[in-house]
Amino acid sequence: MRFEQDIRVINKLGLHTRATARLVKLCSQFDSSIEISNDQRRADAKSIMSVMMLAACQGTELRIVVEGEDAAEAIRQVTDLFESRFEEQE
Amino acid sequence: MFTLHGTGVGFGIAIGTARLIRRPGQEVPEYSILPEQVDREIQRLTDGIHSATECLSAYYEDMREEGTDEVQALLDAHLLMMQDPILLEQSALIIRERLVNAEFALQLHCENLQVVFRNIDDPYMRSKSDEISQVIGRIQDELLGQHAGQSSLEGIKEGEIIVTHDLMPSDTIEYKKYRVGAFLTNLGGPISHTAILARSMQIPAIVGLHEGIRYLKTGDTLVIDGKRGVVLVEPDDAALDIYEKRIAKIKRVARELEIIKYQPARTLDGQTIELNANLEFAEELTQSLECNASGIGLYRTESLYMNRKEFPDELEQLEVYSTLLGTTERPVTIRTLDLGADKQVDGGRRNMSLATNPALGRRAIRLCLHDLTLFKPQLRALYRASIHGDLRIMVPMISSQAELDQLFTVLDEIRDELARENLPFKPCTPIGGMIEVPAAAVTADTFAKRLDFLSIGTNDLIQYTLAIDRIDDEVNYLYDPLHPAVLRLIKSVIDAGHNAGIPISMCGEMAGDIECTRILLALGLREFSMDPAVIGAVKQRVRGTHIGEMEPMVRDLLTINESNRYRNLIKLINR
Repeated sequence: MRFEQDIRVINKLGLHTRATARLVKLCSQFDSSIEISNDQRRADAKSIMSVMMLAACQGTELRIVVEGEDAAEAIRQVTDLFESRFEEQE
Repeated sequence: MFTLHGTGVGFGIAIGTARLIRRPGQEVPEYSILPEQVDREIQRLTDGIHSATECLSAYYEDMREEGTDEVQALLDAHLLMMQDPILLEQSALIIRERLVNAEFALQLHCENLQVVFRNIDDPYMRSKSDEISQVIGRIQDELLGQHAGQSSLEGIKEGEIIVTHDLMPSDTIEYKKYRVGAFLTNLGGPISHTAILARSMQIPAIVGLHEGIRYLKTGDTLVIDGKRGVVLVEPDDAALDIYEKRIAKIKRVARELEIIKYQPARTLDGQTIELNANLEFAEELTQSLECNASGIGLYRTESLYMNRKEFPDELEQLEVYSTLLGTTERPVTIRTLDLGADKQVDGGRRNMSLATNPALGRRAIRLCLHDLTLFKPQLRALYRASIHGDLRIMVPMISSQAELDQLFTVLDEIRDELARENLPFKPCTPIGGMIEVPAAAVTADTFAKRLDFLSIGTNDLIQYTLAIDRIDDEVNYLYDPLHPAVLRLIKSVIDAGHNAGIPISMCGEMAGDIECTRILLALGLREFSMDPAVIGAVKQRVRGTHIGEMEPMVRDLLTINESNRYRNLIKLINR
């Protein structure tokens, strides 16, 4: 299975350290490969350094590509995390 | 075997194992590996990452109790970065392709990442690159045998050779405690802190290796030839043999000096010279008494203030000074606080504005007169300790009469206070000044009239007179204690003291340099204060000197205008 989804970073601080850590931890739970990209670079969502380098601040448009057995569940949980503003108070 | 070259300072020769001390942001060693060593090096990297991760996890667990959410989140992210598969993958690729060691591969990978971060517009995101450096630094420390969170000096073994970028004055006590064998540093010159420390520990050091230490790793066998400024790395048997013989000879000379210890410091023409000891720490007193110093010519009080959060109060200082004075009947000159410039306490907490040129900034007596809450407790402690021995108080870096006015006002106040509080003290404790600013040297006569003694501080006097930063190894070749300008200034201070009938001493490095002893004697100096370790050698030189014979040659030295003749004359004097 393969899913693609565009998503916008809506939380105020963007993909800051804590949010990135959360995202990477979540993605690492899935067997599927998860790739996040902006208009310049692609990142392996299971590598924190690689995601950090996207430097995604508030308002950045990201594309998420998930491929694998559990892709459907993965894409659902990842989008939820972004939409919940990483469950942080702002 | 290969050699590295720098400026040799300190004493003799040492043979020992290297111990690298890394400071944050400092370079890691770089060396090539053979293609067949690649797998082993990658395994080393993997193990390094693994143990750094374990260390950090343990720390993370400890912090779970007390740490804030913020710290937890940060540690959590650091753990993820450490375990990031890409970190291992990319660094391993560098090892394989460039055939370099794991530490350096990590460094290259880190630099690649930094380039990306530097181009990020968002300053908050850009600052993340520091976190990556920190994480990579932890792994590098682990590979270099230093565990995260541990003091970098812990576990040093006696006789090990400390290899580091530069020594901090605040580290000095630690190194003395560990009885290390030698120092090697990238920075520093003949009178840097490393040099002073090495001399006082009677061990060799080589400073100013520039980036030389990057070729060394912990565990390397090194021969340090402090006299020639050469480091032999992994020496062969022949070289080891030569150096072991040299060490034996140095020990023989030391025994000879031991014999003259109880003989008087008297010149061939019958002049008795006072050879005093400089002390950095009160604990060194025994050592200086052992070498039979006439007294303590300089006790530096800075060490009381370093490596701690709060400054010592009056009572704590009173105890230290009283113990020191009570241990010996000989005269003890205690210098008031000489902080600032190269001696900053805790990043200059009391001196927050970072002067562009600290050597010319608010330091020593300037700082003390500016901040009486710092100065007064020390002066009160000194006066109160005065009843326990033969104390002289010396004020550093005095440069104007107005400063003397202020100083005397403060001293009057303190004596009044102590009298009112019925605390015992010696009101007539001699007050002296350190002459180390050229302005004070030129007008030494006006200072000699108002003070009870003067002491020439040559390290600063020379650097201010010649405009040479003593720790800048690009110009320190110009640092010349025997420059005619320096000698003339010294002579005018000695003459001013003699005319005023007050004692004149010298307490800089020059006082302990046997190449200068005869010249200083001929200029009229009769009181020297130096590192206890060199008293024996200077005494030997004093005992072999006829001052009368030296005087005409030294007079020539002050007016000579050819550098060749100048050097020859110095050789002749020291023959």
